[in-house]
Amino acid sequence: MSKVLYLAHTECDGTLHKSALETLTAAKALAEGLGGELAVGIIGADVAAAADSVAGCGAKIYGVSGPDFADARYASDLAAAEAVATACGAEIVVAPATSRFSRALPGLAVRLGGRVDTHLSGLAVADGQPVARRWFYRQRMEGTLTRSERPWVLTLDSGIAEPFAGAGSAEVEALTVDVSGVRTKVAGLECPSEDQQTIRPDARVLLVAGAGWTKKQADGAVHVDVAEETILNFLNATKSSLGSSKSLVDISGEGNAVISFLTHMHQVGQTGASPRHAKGLSTCCHGEEPHVVGWRFISERRAINTDAGCGWAQGKCDVLYVGDAFEIMKKVNEMLG
Amino acid sequence: MSEFHIVVCGSIVPDPLQTLAPVEAPTGWSLKNEMMLPAVLDPWAGHALYEAANLAKKHPGSRVWLVSLAPKAKLQQVMMAVSQKAPFELVVADGSASGFTDSHETARVLAETIKGIAGLETSKMLLFGGWQSASRGSGAVMQMVGEMLGVSEQFQGVDKLTVHDDGAIEVKERIEGGSYQNSLVDGAPAVFGWATGELPEPPNNPQIGMQNMQKNMPALMQAKPADLSGTTMKLASVAVPQQRRETRVVKDAPVDEMAREIVEWLKS
Amino acid sequence: MSDTTDTPEVPRAEMEADIVCVGFGPAAGGFLTTLTRGLMNEDGTPVAESAVVPGMPPQVICYERADDIGFGVSGVVTKGRALRASFPDLDLSQIPMAHEVTDEKVLYLRDPVGASRRPAVFKLADKALGRWMEDDAFELPYVPPFLQKHPGMVFSIGQLNQWVGGNLMGTGMAQIWPGSPVAEPLMDGRAVTGVRMADQGVEKNGTPGPGYMPGMDMKAALTVVADGPVGPVGQHLDRALGLPEGKHQREWAVGMKCVVDLPEGCDWQAGTVLHTIGYPEPEIFGFLYVYPGNVASLGIFVPSWFGNPVRTAYRYMQHWMQHPYLWKRLQGGTMRSGGAKSLQESGRRGAPFLCGDGFARIGEGSGSTNVLTGSGVDEAWATGVMLGESVLELMKEGKPYTRETLEATYVARRRASWVEEEAKVAEKSRDGFVSSVVKGFIGMGLTGLTNGLINMPGSPIKPQDRIPTIEEYYKGYIAEGEVLEIRAECARKGTSLHDALMDRVGWPQIPLDGTLLVSHQDALLMGGKVQAAPGYGDHVRFADPYTCEACRERVCIEACSGQAIYTNPEGGAPLFDREKCVHCGACMWNCSKSDLKDSERTNVCFRAGSGGLHSVEN
Repeated sequence: MSKVLYLAHTECDGTLHKSALETLTAAKALAEGLGGELAVGIIGADVAAAADSVAGCGAKIYGVSGPDFADARYASDLAAAEAVATACGAEIVVAPATSRFSRALPGLAVRLGGRVDTHLSGLAVADGQPVARRWFYRQRMEGTLTRSERPWVLTLDSGIAEPFAGAGSAEVEALTVDVSGVRTKVAGLECPSEDQQTIRPDARVLLVAGAGWTKKQADGAVHVDVAEETILNFLNATKSSLGSSKSLVDISGEGNAVISFLTHMHQVGQTGASPRHAKGLSTCCHGEEPHVVGWRFISERRAINTDAGCGWAQGKCDVLYVGDAFEIMKKVNEMLG
Repeated sequence: MSEFHIVVCGSIVPDPLQTLAPVEAPTGWSLKNEMMLPAVLDPWAGHALYEAANLAKKHPGSRVWLVSLAPKAKLQQVMMAVSQKAPFELVVADGSASGFTDSHETARVLAETIKGIAGLETSKMLLFGGWQSASRGSGAVMQMVGEMLGVSEQFQGVDKLTVHDDGAIEVKERIEGGSYQNSLVDGAPAVFGWATGELPEPPNNPQIGMQNMQKNMPALMQAKPADLSGTTMKLASVAVPQQRRETRVVKDAPVDEMAREIVEWLKS
Repeated sequence: MSDTTDTPEVPRAEMEADIVCVGFGPAAGGFLTTLTRGLMNEDGTPVAESAVVPGMPPQVICYERADDIGFGVSGVVTKGRALRASFPDLDLSQIPMAHEVTDEKVLYLRDPVGASRRPAVFKLADKALGRWMEDDAFELPYVPPFLQKHPGMVFSIGQLNQWVGGNLMGTGMAQIWPGSPVAEPLMDGRAVTGVRMADQGVEKNGTPGPGYMPGMDMKAALTVVADGPVGPVGQHLDRALGLPEGKHQREWAVGMKCVVDLPEGCDWQAGTVLHTIGYPEPEIFGFLYVYPGNVASLGIFVPSWFGNPVRTAYRYMQHWMQHPYLWKRLQGGTMRSGGAKSLQESGRRGAPFLCGDGFARIGEGSGSTNVLTGSGVDEAWATGVMLGESVLELMKEGKPYTRETLEATYVARRRASWVEEEAKVAEKSRDGFVSSVVKGFIGMGLTGLTNGLINMPGSPIKPQDRIPTIEEYYKGYIAEGEVLEIRAECARKGTSLHDALMDRVGWPQIPLDGTLLVSHQDALLMGGKVQAAPGYGDHVRFADPYTCEACRERVCIEACSGQAIYTNPEGGAPLFDREKCVHCGACMWNCSKSDLKDSERTNVCFRAGSGGLHSVEN
């Protein structure tokens, strides 16, 4: 009988992230599909609340907790994951592809003598075997794969299942893990303040700013100040997440006018991120293919561009508004109040 | 001042500007016209290489190796461009650089190749690489290489690395939501999967290129074939998703009208 | 221009090689293939010792501007005589996109839309040949011998370059460096002593900026100039040394092309070669080569003698593709990549000094293209082989590379070669086009069929002197006042003038389908777009901005193959966007104004630059 271990880590407030709860739904379905047994492992400073929040899944819950496990750190996270996997004899390990587990869990495959497949976009059972789905070549093509090596470590991207709901009172088997030999100390986080926060993975809307915002406008002048104000007003009014095209990020290197709050972190596309949002609005961006591959997980797409023949018009968005983004977005902001 | 032995793992990927399509052959999945497509150094691995060269320059006595698992003919072509960017010693495992290879096999070949580097001192080793490839995008290979080499101080999504006077290394890693996590590791050995880093792409320096290739051409010629067969992973299907939408183009409409439509859509 | 007062003191690096070659195309391929094969004796000792690295064989370096040795070139059909001589066992199946020529046709295309400007003879032909036409195309009953490429081969130069370059690098006897634009030759009087690379870390106008790195000097006993018709080293030498008496480079064409995945069921077999005449305008030739795997390379040539000052090759190509004969087989296909290249069509008449102290010139820039047979790749390769043989001969004899020794070896070989013999026949074949397209075609026929004994007379005119004003060209079609109105409307909307004028004279709008009929910009994004490394100066500049300010034709903008040259909203010289330039060099001759300092040239300067199309197919 297959033993499926679901692994999660707590957030700083002791809860489980939505993507972790989604992964539990997928792990549970996998265990059921395989006719196997589900076990749960939770890592964090204090795992009690998180364990309670998923107690309804009915699985045995292991916990590795203490101040050493409060922060994301490769060596301690891996040691904890290894302890849980060994304790429950996991054949398949399913975990959310958070930055913390994406860092730590590939190493688990080596420690356990198994294999790993990461960033799955789907997980199913066919012919009694788990079938994983993931993207290749930066979201350009999607493949389904199987393998017979075990243990098999799988990390799942968000959005592939409904979040698990089923709180209760959990009994946690606490495992002790010695991480005294770890040489890394986490110094802390640098989080943008609420005002500066422009990347919001959980936002409903993504606003993408393209290079056009920093180019000369009809009057022959560059209006970066206006561009910045317009973009920020929109973000503040809608609590949208901000993305940018590669060209807008790159031009900062050539001594051009730049949008001060944009960095490589905002870049959407082939060499940047592929964020997940329900809606995406592109402004001043030509909709070139290498950029648009980063829109793979944006459900509804609209774009504003002065060029009716731009890439967006070629079946890449739902609606293209041919017009000046400076004017349209100013009006949008006014209407949003 | 610390002295580092920096090993950069980096392979080649199709030039990101190319159109890619999967094809299935008896030997498994590959890219259509794979050997025809122009290739480049994997972008994030490239950042790792430039950071490595920069770090080595600041710490005299340091060495930089670029360990690459790639078909050597193709790699040779790419190296003519990469060699001009930064000084390094090339170590080649001649094998597939396909994104469809099992990440574990790639890691195993890289780890074995690194173990074979003469003069590499593990106590000084900083293992660099991209935090994800542009081919497989697993973000898993560097961790496994590190594990296989017994290095369990690891960092991913690194954008900045600062070496303190006492040899400790401060690391800035990307995490969710545009935030960073800062950590301090007391020194080598450690693994760093680089994101963009902080350095611009160096200019093409023909002098560096020629110095590099004098020692690196023999490495290319002598590359040993890599065995990537130790996997049961099977790709049942690979497909490019149909993504064409019916685009409605709104032209010659007043600004107010377009703005109103957008606001309604945002609120719906 | 550069303000040196606050220029950081960065020393210019200098290195030495024995031979430095500029540009990696078919000519350099032929040269390096021949040279590297002969550098070692059978006993493993070098035939000559390097002068710069004692004890080693001669150090041979080749610099290529593009980011990859297979980027941004062209599809080709050729008899491949020189290639086969270099590779007697050539197996075309080893080179992707290569195939034997299996079928060759010359097609006369009738105008199906009624917008083409046809001289009376063409109108007559449209009618007279009508009954034998299939899908508005008349297949010439036989291919004139001078146009025949059978037996021959079709291939992509990009793929050939990759194959040749890979083999060369594998020998370890030559290094080919991509992404390495050479700015100019290093000259000592009339002698060449090496090359200077393009500066990096400079502003758009070339002044040093942050990270300034002056281009390295690579000294060499022999500089091989193989940088093509628009290459900066060749241009520099032509300016510094002048052209031999009676020679000039006044005839050009731009090849605008794409590679297409043909629709399923298309009946063109691999190795099919089509040449078309007659449409979209009588001056515009079309070509189509079918590769293995249901792929075709196709496009048009727009020559400098085409009178339309708002010549946009891309739109003409779209009309050409939609000609019923072609469209029947192309419809449902997908564009894989697009591109463009300038062709030096003066051939032997444009031949520069082939050698001098310390340098030799090979390939298209040396006037090797045969303008009658429309063949240049094999000829270029042949000139490279001839230089390779000559250099080996001089090496073995321990002789220096001087004008005399190179004349006695390389130039002598060229003069005695089939390349020269056939180029002589071709030399005057296109003179008829000076006066009219009809005379041009008759002239080509006469020259071809009489082996050059009889030619249509005509004296070539500089391209800038033959471009009429827009009003002149559209006289009788659009009233002057209306041209003014259209011009003002386009300027106001920031839209393209050529599109508006073509629409006005009856060319149908292009029904974009997103797969084969795509916007000009999208064509340049498919299968590898344009990339320009940061830190280089602009390679397209305008010699005298005031001349541009007064210019009304602005052919450079309308003709730009990458839409990289565009109107400055503030007036003055046009603006240039390096990120869009495909390096076709057509702006250099698509200009209606002479350079004030050199009347043989136009006001557009095309210099050394990095980047360009990232496509290895076309």
